[in-house]
Amino acid sequence: MARIGVFVCHCGENISSTVDCAKVAEIASNYPGVVYSIDYKYMCSDPGQNLIKEAIQKHKLTGVVVAACSPRMHEPTFRKATAEAGLNPYLCEMANLREHCSWVHYREDTTTEKAAELVRVLVEKVKHNEELYPIKVPITKTALVIGGGIGGIQAALDIANSGHKVIMVEKNPSIGGKMAQLSETFPTLDCSQCILTPRMVEVAQHPNITLYTYAEIESVDGFIGNFKVTIRQKAKSVDHKACTGCGLCIEKCPIKKIPDEFNAGLGNRAAIYVPFPQAVPNKPVIDRNNCTYFLKGKCGLCKKVCPADAIHYEQEDELIKVDVGAIVAATGFDIKHSDFFPEYGYGKYPDVIDGLQFERLASASGPTLGVLKRPSDGKEPESIVFIACAGSRDPAKGIPYCSKICCMYTAKHAMLFKHKNHHGKATVFYMDIRAGGKMYDEFVRRAIEEDDVNYIRGRVSRIYEKNGKLIVCGVDTLLNSRPVEIEADMVVLATAAIANSDSEELAQKLHISYDPYHFFSEAHPKLRPVETNTAGIMLAGACQAPKDIPDTVSQASGTAAKVVALFSQDELTREPLIAYVNNNTCVGCFLCQSVCPYLAIEKEEIRRRDGTLVKTVAKINPGLCQGCGTCVALCRSKSIDIHGYTNRQIYAEVSALFNRREYAGV
Amino acid sequence: MSELINKVSQFFSSGIIDLFIGYKKGRLGEGKPAFFTKPEQLNELIFDENCIVNLAVYLRKPELKKYSKIGVLANFGTLRALLQLAAENQIADGQYLILTVADGKVLEFANLKAIEEYVANNLPKPNPERIAFLKEIESKSREERWEFWTRELASCIRCYACRAACPLCYCEQCLVECNQPQWVGVPPTGMGNLEWHIVRAMHLAGRCIGCGECEAACPMEIPIGFLTQKLNMAIISNFGQVPGTKLEPDYALSTFKVDDKENFIR
Repeated sequence: MARIGVFVCHCGENISSTVDCAKVAEIASNYPGVVYSIDYKYMCSDPGQNLIKEAIQKHKLTGVVVAACSPRMHEPTFRKATAEAGLNPYLCEMANLREHCSWVHYREDTTTEKAAELVRVLVEKVKHNEELYPIKVPITKTALVIGGGIGGIQAALDIANSGHKVIMVEKNPSIGGKMAQLSETFPTLDCSQCILTPRMVEVAQHPNITLYTYAEIESVDGFIGNFKVTIRQKAKSVDHKACTGCGLCIEKCPIKKIPDEFNAGLGNRAAIYVPFPQAVPNKPVIDRNNCTYFLKGKCGLCKKVCPADAIHYEQEDELIKVDVGAIVAATGFDIKHSDFFPEYGYGKYPDVIDGLQFERLASASGPTLGVLKRPSDGKEPESIVFIACAGSRDPAKGIPYCSKICCMYTAKHAMLFKHKNHHGKATVFYMDIRAGGKMYDEFVRRAIEEDDVNYIRGRVSRIYEKNGKLIVCGVDTLLNSRPVEIEADMVVLATAAIANSDSEELAQKLHISYDPYHFFSEAHPKLRPVETNTAGIMLAGACQAPKDIPDTVSQASGTAAKVVALFSQDELTREPLIAYVNNNTCVGCFLCQSVCPYLAIEKEEIRRRDGTLVKTVAKINPGLCQGCGTCVALCRSKSIDIHGYTNRQIYAEVSALFNRREYAGV
Repeated sequence: MSELINKVSQFFSSGIIDLFIGYKKGRLGEGKPAFFTKPEQLNELIFDENCIVNLAVYLRKPELKKYSKIGVLANFGTLRALLQLAAENQIADGQYLILTVADGKVLEFANLKAIEEYVANNLPKPNPERIAFLKEIESKSREERWEFWTRELASCIRCYACRAACPLCYCEQCLVECNQPQWVGVPPTGMGNLEWHIVRAMHLAGRCIGCGECEAACPMEIPIGFLTQKLNMAIISNFGQVPGTKLEPDYALSTFKVDDKENFIR
């Protein structure tokens, strides 16, 4: 016979303000199988938990129902208390009286009645609960870091310095990411490359880090602790072991007019190239889409001049299989480019540029060697207009979110300009200044007060060209919405930060969720910001949402801490709330296999002792199964069930609701 | 017919098969399923338009396990059932010797792939009478349709002949036999009957090959074939998946395609 204990929590006033908790406990005492029932102000507190533990032992309970808050909040607490009293923790269930009842109803008799019904449903369920034991799975103590920007670099170094192996995959020929392209960084104005490149070198030289540049993720299978990843090493056409990095091939390459991605299209590069002088690895790759040899089959100049005989045109893409235990996605972001702002003449006027292009113009390693020259005629601008929120916070443009970094970098851009041209005129059009962060507001104030940057609160409606000047038409909303027209030599748009174009594809390969803008979704916006809903896959940096460098680096270190915590154990303990197959009734149609989002269903052959095959049935991989229950719904013979949520349990719950009896005069 | 008999008896004499499932003449002139284990029995073998029973239903019966290789004389419904069974991992390539008769000629299928091609080239159009009847039911109001089906299904005696006749109802333990929990009420009364027929139709949605065996087997003459036919028409028009035409699983309830129409979600 079931001996169930019911524990009704007031949750301070959260539940008791609309539900009569004492009454619920009294009604519950009449339910069949309930031998003990009590209410208490804070069941999760130490005395509250002791109440449960003592009752389990004194009344020899076989099941516990805690009627309190969401199981997401305190199920682990109460299951632990149950285990401490000697009962299997999975014989404890929670009825959610807070979110499902007290918070959503007024204080009425029916509210108390509903609470009592919720308890009754769980009492019926817990009668069918079975003892369950955690699952153990081994862990491969190697981490995969996808993306070699500052986020990936920080995560990789932190994990590698903790003594674990790291595999880093970067899709470009060099690591460094967006940060390598920046000139100086807010709020301290230190040179971006000067602080980044030592880290890049550290990655390349670290004994625990294996670096694959010019490589992409082909496929990801497996599960936390046991991922099987295939990396596509794109053909570099250069043997990096033999190459000395002398650069002769780049010098001799006749194709030199390819828009340089690193310089945001403001400079040119050759078909065989190193993205930038401090690149890691500092060895070239051949861009096959632009190389004459690959397009027309002749040239071969680089091969002829190479003193190390390192050019290998016949090299092919290579698929490398690796086993890893955790994955860090640090794939970064992109910014909106041309023809997104026809009203600002972007794409039409060469002197309307985006923020990243300004970074390259201001950078000492850029196409102008740090001298601000406008792209159209190379003249040094006397007046620059900076437009913040170009695309961001604009539902009409389809980007309602704030890109977060633009307020700060726009102030920085204006300042850099003023530092290079003391008599220049810098104007910033803005909606709001969002400078939350240590030393951030001070930085913006410095731009306005010390560097004399003119901040105009208002939107720009149009930009047009007149007598070689760009006329920026806007409005000053702080001066009675007076229209303003500013003459500029150059306009810099702080264009919206967006997800990478291939982020959706990668998310699908990783089986992680993503938001409507294709940024990867964290498991919980506040309490689990670095994990994804797929166990073992973590996020660092702007692939999750637009972020600046300090935020990216902190998140990357957080990610590393999660990975290291995972790797600190030899075996992984998982909740046993997963699907299982009844081999007797399974007919092996394997339609469940096609529906499983976690690829957790395998084939298992049932054989007699003499080895003859009886049948092939479905088998659930306990490491992969997340207990979503889709297979259960699809199985016609009801041969699959989920521990903790069995068909019998759910059926008992539903039947309880249909078979209502009066247990007390509510 | 002599060509067919000659061919099958050759299969017997060369030891290729030890059981042949075909048809012989029944009392009312119908093609009656027949199991031949010796070549001398084959003079009874027939194949004509009256041979409508779907022989694929026998292949999963435990009684046939003792035969090492079985030959099947397949009508079109049987061929489609074989494809669907293959897609659901129930039969393997080369497990059976499959014959059919088309334009008076005996066809032997080299493998399941050949059946797939044959079926694709010979798919018949839906029977206009059945379509007209479906349209008629569809044109009724919700209440009238409810009334129609509750009345029709009230006469069900729960003999499960529909299940026994269906080549795709091959579960070793049917859901109606499960009593922990008791999903479907056992007595042949209104609600239990409704539950059984809804479950049966849903379990065949996107799998039913439309051979009509369930309806033919029903002693109470309930038009149950329309339930699965209607579901399949919805699946074909929304997702283009035709059961019993593909060797690979292509099951509407378990596949997601990016270009799926989602106009049924309101």
